[in-house]
Amino acid sequence: MNLLSLLLLVFPAAPVAPLDSPFLWQEPPVEEVVEEEVAEEPVEEVTEQEPAEDEVEEVVEEEEEDPNAEDPNSPYLAIIGGDIHTVSDGLIRKGTILCKEGRILKVGRRVKLPKGARRVDATGMQVYPGLIAVRTNGIVSGRGTNIADDFDPFGLNVDLGLAGGLTTVESGNGIAKLTRGTLDGTLLGTTGWINLNYSSTSPGSRRQVRAEFSKVRDFLRERRAWETAKAMGEEEGEEPEAKGLKSGYLELLEGKAIARFNANGLKDLLSICDLLDEYPMQSVIFGGQEAWACAGRLGRVGARLVITPRAKSWADDSLNRPSGWSIENAKILWEHGVTFSILPQQTFISTGGLAGRDLLNLPMEAAFAIRGGLPQQAALQALTLDAAKILGMDDRLGTIEVGKDADIIICDGDLFHYRTFVEWSVVNGRVAYDKAKAPYFAHIRPREVPSMDELVEEIQRAADALEEEAGNAEGDVETVEEEVSTAEIDAPGGF
Amino acid sequence: MILSSLLLFAAQPLQAEAPEPTREPTGRVTVYRLGQVETLEGDAQKNVSLLVRDGVIERMGQALIIPDHAEVIDLRRSGQVATPPLVLTHANWLIEGRRSGGRNSQFLAVDSLWLEADWEQDLLEEGVLLVGVDPPGSGLPGRTSVLEVDGQTGQPEPLVADLHLKVTMATSSSAKKLVRDAWKAAEDAIAKEEKAEKDWKKAREEWEAKQKEKEEAAKKEEEDKKDGNTAAQDGGKDKKEQEEKAPPETFEPPKMKSDVTPLVEWVRQERVGQLWLRSASDWLHWQDLLGERELSYEIVLRHGRSQNFGEVASVLATTGLRVEVPAVISFLPFTRVRANLPAELAAAGVEKLILAPPNDSLSGVRSWRLGAARVVAEGLDRQVALRGMSLEAAASLGQEELIAPLKTGSPATFVIWSGDPLDPMSEVDLVVSAGKVVYDRAKKEKEEAR
Repeated sequence: MNLLSLLLLVFPAAPVAPLDSPFLWQEPPVEEVVEEEVAEEPVEEVTEQEPAEDEVEEVVEEEEEDPNAEDPNSPYLAIIGGDIHTVSDGLIRKGTILCKEGRILKVGRRVKLPKGARRVDATGMQVYPGLIAVRTNGIVSGRGTNIADDFDPFGLNVDLGLAGGLTTVESGNGIAKLTRGTLDGTLLGTTGWINLNYSSTSPGSRRQVRAEFSKVRDFLRERRAWETAKAMGEEEGEEPEAKGLKSGYLELLEGKAIARFNANGLKDLLSICDLLDEYPMQSVIFGGQEAWACAGRLGRVGARLVITPRAKSWADDSLNRPSGWSIENAKILWEHGVTFSILPQQTFISTGGLAGRDLLNLPMEAAFAIRGGLPQQAALQALTLDAAKILGMDDRLGTIEVGKDADIIICDGDLFHYRTFVEWSVVNGRVAYDKAKAPYFAHIRPREVPSMDELVEEIQRAADALEEEAGNAEGDVETVEEEVSTAEIDAPGGF
Repeated sequence: MILSSLLLFAAQPLQAEAPEPTREPTGRVTVYRLGQVETLEGDAQKNVSLLVRDGVIERMGQALIIPDHAEVIDLRRSGQVATPPLVLTHANWLIEGRRSGGRNSQFLAVDSLWLEADWEQDLLEEGVLLVGVDPPGSGLPGRTSVLEVDGQTGQPEPLVADLHLKVTMATSSSAKKLVRDAWKAAEDAIAKEEKAEKDWKKAREEWEAKQKEKEEAAKKEEEDKKDGNTAAQDGGKDKKEQEEKAPPETFEPPKMKSDVTPLVEWVRQERVGQLWLRSASDWLHWQDLLGERELSYEIVLRHGRSQNFGEVASVLATTGLRVEVPAVISFLPFTRVRANLPAELAAAGVEKLILAPPNDSLSGVRSWRLGAARVVAEGLDRQVALRGMSLEAAASLGQEELIAPLKTGSPATFVIWSGDPLDPMSEVDLVVSAGKVVYDRAKKEKEEAR
């Protein structure tokens, strides 16, 4: 009787520790992030309050009885032992993230924890930046800056959003964090998007858009001339006034706003590229089904895209150009250096409807792009950093880096695997969702795994029982072995 | 019969001259002998007699000396239970009015009463002796009133016409804006008043100084006269002008708009607000609105779409505020997880807990005791539940002296139930208000049978 069969006897359905499935992506070379390195670039305010290392050590010594005691009111939250996918800095195996007051204070393998820090044991788990959905409906109520006053921090969809790994969502041009249970820090800001109707089906509005931009450009030229004259000390007239310009267009050409388009077809995409060539500005295009056919062009004009890899449209054989959807869309865009994010077909969370195609399952949409050849790292970036860029919030969101917002998700497996669940979602340094405590998925593959001591104890007990039985049967070993095999077969569950 | 008709006969000519007022039972003693009394202050007492004189429980105990000529009502053997009467904080089916949103704090609930002829019988049947009514609508719909259910038909005089300022909170920017604007209006009005007072003070002081000057001048004049100089002739005219301009002796505050006055009183903490919440997030938004401001208010919880007040139960407890909650076992939103909110609140430490009917309708009142029984069966303390249905509710309506724990010296105001009040099969047998029987089921049934 070897140890393995004993183990199987005792824990026939014991959860298998991290996935070793072929879906796991080729991880990038592990860059060892050492604490000292990271500590060089912390946010100012954070460093000021950071306790000196000797102090921490002293504190730990004092707390000899239980150095791991947690203080629920501690400003520190430590996520310990998980594989950290930083997005910005590769993978840190078995690393620790220390957060303080909503920001990430330290990331690395050797991070000393201050006394009383709240802890999340992420051993054997995968840790990612919180996912960002660049367009949602009904996850947070309210639009724009009203979100702050309309947000229901106990809403079902907030819970489910967090369960799906979302920590930040766009809603009606407002950007909100899913701060479950609190109103603090919900509203992050607004997107600064300005919608432009530039579709081939309405040539009139296209003409109008171009005419408006032309006016703004003329004004900008006039103003620049005036400013130059002023700077040169030449005779200056009145400062030109921005009169009769369409609202928002000036901000677009000044680089203060982002133009937002809807376009799926190649024709529309190319004409948007033409517009961006003529009037360079920040832009985001929702749709982009045929973007694979003009990826280079999109990359050159710096367009950002929001795509839905599973949204289909058939190729039109009557056209003498590439058309239709492609499973390789995301991969081709990535190869051409286009920044893009991913949205599922339904931008809300539905408890009915199309299962797996709503925001409860955002990583599944990205998994389809991975199927089409997109590297896993790029897919992760599309849901985090690139989404943050599209929202204009990449200074705060999208990566696990010192100084960024502590929006982190901890998964029980690879994010893009269908069986993976989010175990914890951390928003602004607070644990906003805990699978084991929320009533939705706690019963599916429960997290509680026995500790090593418990395991040994169980094995000992089982061994004793077997011995006793063997003694009773007067050395009839064969019977015992039979029983072992039956136990294996009858064992419920298992993966 | 003969005697009474004789009496009537004798009384008639007298009445024609001067109608005799109905005589109070002064000095008359009634003794209720009961199997069980839920005093609601300490444990229930068994085999107790209540000696009632002049509408007050004069004595109470297991061995009382019953005075001669006392009327003894012996209810010991039928399992009857006496409790203080139930108090309904929101008898809102008695209100007929437009359901408005926005700021309408000038309205009084009592002005929108719509009472059917036998509105009191419905309530007495359920052991309710006191009701609060509040103005319909959302936002700041007006102020609440209190009515006594005394069994006399007709349009009643409200016990309190103007009590709480009702505020409904919602998780929406518009609801928050409404409250913010209301406070702003109140603060503007206060500032205006303060400015007016300052101006008045200044004017008054100036005027008084001038008067003094004038007096001194007059004195001087007189002295001058004595000295032999001729007086200035225009002095009298000046005096007349100044008298006309004289500011009033006491400060008269500028008139406020009728919808602003209650708000000003609230902001000055001279009035208690009644805050209605429909979900846990409403509470967080209220806290966000409130900020550092200090106000006095009570909380009314009503289940909206989400029944998640448990999320904020401990926070509500720390405020020490009075909280009203419906007697319902609810499900956590979108789950089959049962939630006993009243028990959760009590466990979290909410001390002033009002247990309201499952909903604000007559049928809600009729299933009130059933709801309470369920809540008690699943964990709420029985005493807390009964107190929450009577004493705490009465205190919320400011009538804790009218409806008090049953003990010596309390008003003889109680309900006698045919059994345990938390048994939905039990019925109200007798309602006694300050010693007077205002409802008698046996009598009523006899009348109805006739």
